[in-house]
Amino acid sequence: MVVYRCEDTAESIFTAVYRAYEEKRCHEDTMLCLTDDTFLFAEDMEVEADAVKTRKVMNTLLRRFGREDCRRLSMALAAEDEEKAQAVYRTIVEGLRCKVGPGHLFDNLARNEIHKAFALARGVNTEVGHQIQFLRFQELESGILYSRIGPKNDVLAFIMPHFADRLPIEHFVIYDEKRNVFGIHPAGRQWYLLRGEEADVQPRYSEEELQYQELFRQFCHTITIEERRNRKLQQNMLPLRFREYMVEFQ
Amino acid sequence: MDYLKTGGDMSLEEKLQVLTDAAKYDVACTSSGVERQGDGRSIGNCVAAGICHSFSGDGRCISLLKILLTNECIYDCKYCRNRHANDIPRATFTPEEICTLTMEFYRRNYIEGLFLSSGIIRNPTFTMELICRTIWLLRNRYHFNGYVHVKAIPGADPEVIEQTGFLADRMSVNLELPTAEGLHSLAPNKHRRTILTPMRQIQNGIQANRNDLVLYRNAPKFVSGGQSTQMIIGATPESDYQIIHVAQGLYQKFGLKRVFYSAFVNVTGDKALPALPGGPPLLREHRLYQADWLLRFYGFRAEELLDERRPFFNIMLDPKEDWAVRHLEQFPVEINRAPLETLLRVPGVGVKSARRIVAARRSGALNFQDLKKIGVVLKRTLYFITCSGRMMYPVKLDEDSIVRNLTSVRDRVQFGSDGMSYQQLSLFDDAAFTRPISVTERQQVAVGQL
Repeated sequence: MVVYRCEDTAESIFTAVYRAYEEKRCHEDTMLCLTDDTFLFAEDMEVEADAVKTRKVMNTLLRRFGREDCRRLSMALAAEDEEKAQAVYRTIVEGLRCKVGPGHLFDNLARNEIHKAFALARGVNTEVGHQIQFLRFQELESGILYSRIGPKNDVLAFIMPHFADRLPIEHFVIYDEKRNVFGIHPAGRQWYLLRGEEADVQPRYSEEELQYQELFRQFCHTITIEERRNRKLQQNMLPLRFREYMVEFQ
Repeated sequence: MDYLKTGGDMSLEEKLQVLTDAAKYDVACTSSGVERQGDGRSIGNCVAAGICHSFSGDGRCISLLKILLTNECIYDCKYCRNRHANDIPRATFTPEEICTLTMEFYRRNYIEGLFLSSGIIRNPTFTMELICRTIWLLRNRYHFNGYVHVKAIPGADPEVIEQTGFLADRMSVNLELPTAEGLHSLAPNKHRRTILTPMRQIQNGIQANRNDLVLYRNAPKFVSGGQSTQMIIGATPESDYQIIHVAQGLYQKFGLKRVFYSAFVNVTGDKALPALPGGPPLLREHRLYQADWLLRFYGFRAEELLDERRPFFNIMLDPKEDWAVRHLEQFPVEINRAPLETLLRVPGVGVKSARRIVAARRSGALNFQDLKKIGVVLKRTLYFITCSGRMMYPVKLDEDSIVRNLTSVRDRVQFGSDGMSYQQLSLFDDAAFTRPISVTERQQVAVGQL
């Protein structure tokens, strides 16, 4: 058995996929592993992320499976799961072997690996949706919109395009406090991610910020119909873990 | 244009409080139906699926800034909180206030857009003009590119309604009550005809605009999110059958995107209205929404779900289960063979899982484990399907045993007590008969007193 040891990045995993094909491995007997687990009689291969190989893999995926399924694969890779690399690898192998058309990569849900990758992608997609719904911006003194999030999966790269499209003329920053990543969008320009910087301790808000927070809090309170009060339903739709970051629940 | 200067000394907080409170019984708070990318210069875009930004204490979504322009009203509808006979604080927003609130909330990702309705000031046309002017300001002066839902006021000049339609994403005319008689008894100033006229106008406008868009790609869009309406449930004695029949008519004849149902909440205490000691009829509202989905996405017709002889939905079973139990001759369905339309009619199979089944069975026969992965709700489905000719485990295909299994133990005690049952009544069909034995009764039995 051959085990490719990858890092937890899309680039590293795609490079491993490329090498598995390049070195003509038997796919049934090959594994992509993110952890330090050891396997009996296994040959370990260290994978170094390679931009050219990643690009080649991504081009192939895009050509063979279409934009929608490629997006799902990259979402599966953004999940917090140790077996995601193997699931994505096996899904790609199945897809290429069966020559599925664009948009049909995840059709065969009866297969375990495909279902695993599908479920991971669905989970990340749900979380992306939740963050787009529940993320709150706060206006800083300088007029920059700032938001702090703590997602379970690494979703920042998927929510930035939405807000860049929505608020093109605003400067805004989204800070993922679990992974210490900033998504930065300068007004009218392309957005980018910034890793490894520490966040400022306490952001200073603009004068109007607190007033609008109070207005919205009041709005949420007033719009509730007392006769229909249903806390359980509210909690189903809006899980408690998001409330820490939302102004109306402070 | 001149504005009414009432409540000018109120602060923005107070106005927002009053006018949110006045708008909260309107249910059509969705932001779906329009996909529009940002244009790079103004603020806002639209997502076809709609986005809910928060959920209020009653579990309903907060998607749009739902407010009234004013809660002054010359009408006197008996169910409405803002009826002019009601003594409540009144307020009016200026268009600038609405625009600033919308923009500032939107930038902070609090809301997805604006929902603007209004009480009637002076006359319908004047009110509609005010709304139109507000939306115009929001679009052209404040450069808002997000979602806007406005009410078309029945009786307003068609020209103003048309102008507003070019600025808004969705328009709605409230049907208020399902039948003309109900409307006549509770809303003396409103008439079925004046409500249906703007509805027809918007429908024709959307159709004409579609033809224009084929010819001229950049023609301005007219109500691109379609139109919706809402009905109050439980204020008048209509049956569920009448209500979904009306809804079906609206979908087919008026091309509506959505019909909303709003469980009646008695806020005015008028003597013509029913008192609701058990709270608003929420379960009834829920069943109507379920049936609404069956009409729109599952290929059901109103006549299949209910008829004149049984005009109300079953309380214990959802409309699809209810239909399936009454049509056992069409079951069980073979998952690996049945066409999509048949799969959609199986309880526990939704639109997505039906599509996934059709896609997945191309690569091999499915079994019950695979169905679970696909997302089928097996505990409801298993009575109605076979996989490769086998049921999950031996099931007696008879109405009574299936119903007993579909309803939970807690519900079963009351089942049949309201006269809805699939079997003939027997001597022991009494709700009190199955109640648990109390401690005193146990003692009495032990000492031989019972």
